[in-house]
Amino acid sequence: MIAIQILNGLVYGSLLMIVASGLVLIYGLRRVVNFAHGSLFMLGAYIAYAASLQFGFGGGLLAAVAALAAVGFCLDRFGFRLLQDRDPLTVMLVTFGLLLVFEDVVQSIWGKQSYSLAAPEALQGTVDLFGSPFPVYRLAIVAVGALVAACLVGWLRYSRIGLFIRGASTDPVTTAMQGVNTDRLSGGVVAVGAALAGLAGVVSGPFLSLSPTMGSDILIDSFVVVVIGGLGSFAGAFVAAMILGQVQALGAVYLPDLAALLPFALMTAVLIWRPSGLSGSRV
Amino acid sequence: MSANYALEARDLSVRYGGVTANDGVSMHLAQGEIRGLIGPNGAGKSTFIDALSGRRAIAAGSVHLAGSDITALGVVERRLLGLSRSFQRTSIFPGMRIGVQMELAASKIPDADPDEVMRELGLDRLAGRVADEISYGDQRRLDIALALVGRPSVLLLDEPMAGLSVEESMKLARHLRNLARNWGVSVLLVEHDMEVVFGISDSITVLETGKLLAEGTPDEVRAHPKVREAYLGSAA
Amino acid sequence: MSAIITATALEDTQVKRNPGVMRLCAMAAAAVAVGLTVNMSVTSNGLMSLLTQATIYAVFALGLGFLLKQNGMVSFGHALFFGMAGYLVGAAVTLTGWPVGMVVVLTVAAIGMFAFGLALVIVRVPGIAFGMLTLAIGQSFYVLVSKSRGFTGGADGMNINFPAQVFGMELASFQNPSSMFLICWLVLVALVLLLALLLRTGFGPLTEAIRENEERARFIGFRTLLPRAAVFAVSAMVTAVGGVLSALYTGFVSPESLHWSVSGTVLIMVVLGGSRTLWGPAVGAVVYYLFRDFVGEHTTHWMSIFGVSLIAVIVLWPAGIAGGVMRAATSLQRAAARRLA
Repeated sequence: MIAIQILNGLVYGSLLMIVASGLVLIYGLRRVVNFAHGSLFMLGAYIAYAASLQFGFGGGLLAAVAALAAVGFCLDRFGFRLLQDRDPLTVMLVTFGLLLVFEDVVQSIWGKQSYSLAAPEALQGTVDLFGSPFPVYRLAIVAVGALVAACLVGWLRYSRIGLFIRGASTDPVTTAMQGVNTDRLSGGVVAVGAALAGLAGVVSGPFLSLSPTMGSDILIDSFVVVVIGGLGSFAGAFVAAMILGQVQALGAVYLPDLAALLPFALMTAVLIWRPSGLSGSRV
Repeated sequence: MSANYALEARDLSVRYGGVTANDGVSMHLAQGEIRGLIGPNGAGKSTFIDALSGRRAIAAGSVHLAGSDITALGVVERRLLGLSRSFQRTSIFPGMRIGVQMELAASKIPDADPDEVMRELGLDRLAGRVADEISYGDQRRLDIALALVGRPSVLLLDEPMAGLSVEESMKLARHLRNLARNWGVSVLLVEHDMEVVFGISDSITVLETGKLLAEGTPDEVRAHPKVREAYLGSAA
Repeated sequence: MSAIITATALEDTQVKRNPGVMRLCAMAAAAVAVGLTVNMSVTSNGLMSLLTQATIYAVFALGLGFLLKQNGMVSFGHALFFGMAGYLVGAAVTLTGWPVGMVVVLTVAAIGMFAFGLALVIVRVPGIAFGMLTLAIGQSFYVLVSKSRGFTGGADGMNINFPAQVFGMELASFQNPSSMFLICWLVLVALVLLLALLLRTGFGPLTEAIRENEERARFIGFRTLLPRAAVFAVSAMVTAVGGVLSALYTGFVSPESLHWSVSGTVLIMVVLGGSRTLWGPAVGAVVYYLFRDFVGEHTTHWMSIFGVSLIAVIVLWPAGIAGGVMRAATSLQRAAARRLA
């Protein structure tokens, strides 16, 4: 029983990790806390749902990721780039305005009812794990999470762009002085960040259900992840996502009445211990 | 001995990550002394000022103010004990009136007179103006004025002349001389303008890659072979 | 000669920035008169109840705007204090039978203490993470309350059975739009006045300095944690007063009042009204309600409309309505001075 819950925690943690790493990417390069990130997640799920009716899960996945990458690119080109000299709080409020717009768009097209996205047939069954059946699809989510993590680590560590991103997220001023053209990079980076949110949305489709509140639910959890991990830190976000996944899964079973407060309690504890998050240095 | 010094740093080391930015640097300031702190970019000058003022944690060594150990104290306590500083990037309260922010700075220190400082630095006629509306040179002087309220015993200045015209620099240099002479303030001055540094300092400390390279009167330092080789030679 | 001129100019600007107590009281009296006029001239019950609602949210917005003005921080979780006030009042009235006046005072004080403790932890994180944190904290309480069982009523909300006499008045006066509008308006004016007086003490310049440049504030000898936590606590208490008014007016409190979308909506009011003055957010609340009422008749897409207007106001008109009014007033004053000269 507990093993299954830990596995469920791993599933949710993987989703959170994908969403949060998109947030960290965007924050790292643009210093923008993207309140519309949950909406991008939701948009990904709904686009995949619409496309999957015609082209199946795989087609839906491709359509959603491509569409979200385009949305991300436009967001940077026509939003963040124009606002880069403004106060970070201003840009944060702008993304909050976008959240309202995206939620309204989704509600006007698909209404308030929930949908469910069918998992691809190959992944529909269950396997026996620790003596009880466990959906294969959930294991696939963990695999996708691991794949995304591996790709991100490889990309950030071994590519030139990755070096810039890591540089920019720890010290934007110095990186700018070294002649890195943030503008040229950021269209692509924000597109990747948005596509990751979309990917997570699609992947979560058969696991959670599609509803207009799915965006803000995941947004809140991924904020907790990013704050616990330390703003702008990928390693911190990975670790925090896994911890929060476990806290959510185990809390739901063993402390159902207080489960909602656990992320808050965890966050408070971490911040008392380290005001700038797990990865952050003490200020 | 050490009690005679207004400020003393003993074997100060600062590390960030794997980099040792200050490596066992010792330095002292007598009362009313102006000491120039020079060195090429990345020598650890700003780090040294940050460490002295408590802005950055130190890895080893100690800091003494008028003979008492202040290594364990925070930024606020150091300021209240009379160790004050200005900033390389102008650090003022941009949306507030100059008179209001000077009064605020004075309110924490008994018998502090903000008007005296404003007069001394020629800011008195600007008291009613909002800080981001005044000229850049005035803003640089306001940064120093905020640090000078309450006549601190030690003033750490991180490139106060950066971005000022020659004329403004000379004016500021005269102000600093007067402060040291009339108020007995000890000044540690990080500055790129060699003419100014050698012109107004009583003594000079040279840092290179975090280590003490040379120390002495301006003439001694100017004549020091290592300094000529490492710094002045390359600059000239 | 020139010294005299600068001295008078200085005095003049100080007066403009820091109006004297007499002037503040005169402005408050004028605001009360406006409330009375509105109360007497509005005959439509629908409009009256809209204005009452708007005034309650104006109190909420006043609290949230105070945080932004004095601390430079944006909270996406202030609905926590608004909703919590309703629940605390409701719980105390249901369980204890204490006089409502005492319950209200205790509630606001308890929320102030809770917010102060919370702030000691969360104001230390960088400004941008603060917004994320407040959202997460507010929302965790929303989920907690909506899933709770027992007398709080879970997702259905809780009816509060107030005694017939509240603050020595008939309960009915609190639940009738016309008289409640006046009560809320007076509370709003009193709170603006109190906050304005608070800012005239040393607390005003100190918190302003910390907002502008916290590091420099520390380097002129001020510890910054407690003042910032105090701003947060005051802001939460003002918001809690709004929550109390709402509970009195409707006799009901639901988890929806804790939801982040409430915080977000009030944030829109604050931005719309402009947070550089105390009264801006309150104006923003009234404008928001009137605008939504108007727009709501024509379309169901008011969320999009507000999203777009929020972005437009932030990008094009960052000082909001209050900023525009202040600018207009200044140029009028200048024009008048020129004519006199």
